Amino acid sequence: MRLLSEGAESRVFVTSIFGKSAVAKLRHAKAYRIEQIDGTLRKTRTKKEARAMNKAREVCGRVPALLGVGKFTLYMEKIEGTLLKDVKNQRVDYGEIGKTLAKMHDADVVHGDFTPANIIINKSGAWIIDFGLSDITDSIEDKALDLLLMKRSIDRKLYAGMESAYSKELKNSKLVLDRLADIEKRGRYQVRSLA
Amino acid sequence: MLVIGIESSAHTFGVGIVSDGKVLANEKMMYDVGTHGIIPVKVAETHIKNSAAVIQSALDKAGIKISELEGVGYTKGPGIGPCLQVGQIAAKTIAKRLKLKIAPVNHAVAHAEITKREGGFKDPIILYVSGGNSQILKITDKPFRHYHILGETFDIGVGNMLDAFAREIKLKPAWGSTVAKLAMEGKYIEMPYTVKGMDFAFSGLLTYASELAGKAKNEDLCYSIQETSFAMLCEATERALLLTNSRELGVCGGVAQSNRLKEMLASVCKEHRMKFGFARNEYNADNGAMIAFVAERMLEKGSHQPLEKCDVQQRYRIDRAMVY
Ligand SMILES: Nc1ncnc2c1ncn2[C@@H]1O[C@H](COP(=O)(O)OP(=O)(O)OP(=O)(O)O)[C@@H](O)[C@H]1O
Ligand SMILES: [Mg+2]
Repeated sequence: MRLLSEGAESRVFVTSIFGKSAVAKLRHAKAYRIEQIDGTLRKTRTKKEARAMNKAREVCGRVPALLGVGKFTLYMEKIEGTLLKDVKNQRVDYGEIGKTLAKMHDADVVHGDFTPANIIINKSGAWIIDFGLSDITDSIEDKALDLLLMKRSIDRKLYAGMESAYSKELKNSKLVLDRLADIEKRGRYQVRSLA
Repeated sequence: MLVIGIESSAHTFGVGIVSDGKVLANEKMMYDVGTHGIIPVKVAETHIKNSAAVIQSALDKAGIKISELEGVGYTKGPGIGPCLQVGQIAAKTIAKRLKLKIAPVNHAVAHAEITKREGGFKDPIILYVSGGNSQILKITDKPFRHYHILGETFDIGVGNMLDAFAREIKLKPAWGSTVAKLAMEGKYIEMPYTVKGMDFAFSGLLTYASELAGKAKNEDLCYSIQETSFAMLCEATERALLLTNSRELGVCGGVAQSNRLKEMLASVCKEHRMKFGFARNEYNADNGAMIAFVAERMLEKGSHQPLEKCDVQQRYRIDRAMVY
């Protein structure tokens, strides 16, 4: 297995399953915390991520298929393409991304880290990955934070296209957009973007 | 430049004297919190009583006369209003009498900056963990040079959380360090763990542990609340280090005196072969030297304030303060 990426809580390897190329996302042990905390966190997060991925894929289709779940490992279909954050001269349909997020939110799947680092673009469209911080919840605040993260990360015009598609697709989108405006007014988040 | 710095944001009245970045004196007197925590007016009264003696002992330690001072700094905030005012008035009195330039200093910036100097860092991520604050910081130049908050607590600071729990189980003295001592004998009980990206929250953990008070062994509760809260801080910090491609981590603030926390953060850095460091404990506790240290640089860059503009601000956020 070839190491594809090393994150704060997981390592992603390229592998193959039944002859198809796949990735394995392994939550490795963290030496800094005691085993009881570490083991429990890695187990519950792996399960939670699997649940969110399955539910999201069911409602929007734009999530890699899960091929297997180990104690600390998720095996999933490998999506070929380029991370949205690295996309240069490729047309990206931000409306489609907005629509996909709306479908997830309609099913109460909140992504938790909805940024251009967690979207893969290829010929067939935009694919959402990394459900490591996701949750299944009807919290309007959490849904608004998904929008806010993306809003802070991309150009204003592109975001506007995404947001308008989002609100067309989602029934109670006004609630979410009003909350987004609220959060931005609160200020705390205003000065905190990484960009 | 020979600069005096006065710190009084909480239970410590501290006076430091610095010259060309070198600390000549760092004296302090503390209000005894006992088992009832900080009562602002009582603390302020104690500070007033102690202020002249602490200032004099700092001058003696540095071996200078008050007339030799060339600049004054004081903590503008964040902190407890009545406490801050004692230091502010003392500083303004000295500045007025000796006709010296005066600089209002952000307390959190001072902790971070003295740590950067002591640790020999260039551009570190700073984890600032004190009573009222828990923040992950990095200097950013836009729109002005300041400590940008990458992540922080959604509710209470980790220090206040540990102190509040110590009071809940009637430890004496009611400090995080007393919790740490008991924790050495403890076994783990599962507790709520709340991290969201680079942010975290402690009130759920405090409530949960407090409800178990009297039902589980104190040693086990101390061990578990400490291991859980520190693991949360480490996780958020590690994410910040990787996201910003940083190679250095410094920890500062009162809770940075914890050996367990430092051991855990060192482990995070070791995994990624990053540099880890911290200041001596005397600079992690509240102190006047760090205020003098930052004030000297501000004054040298011409960033002083007219006396009538020298206010205090209880919620002076670190990202509002210009860093020199
Ligand atoms: N299904 C997939 N197909 C192709 N590449 C993938 C897939 N899943 C993950 N990757 C690659 O692995 C990287 C890390 O994956 P992911 O974001 O899920 O892990 P993570 O540990 O949460 O990362 P981080 O902490 O950096 O956000 C992605 O940026 C992507 O390059
Ligand atoms: Mg990711």
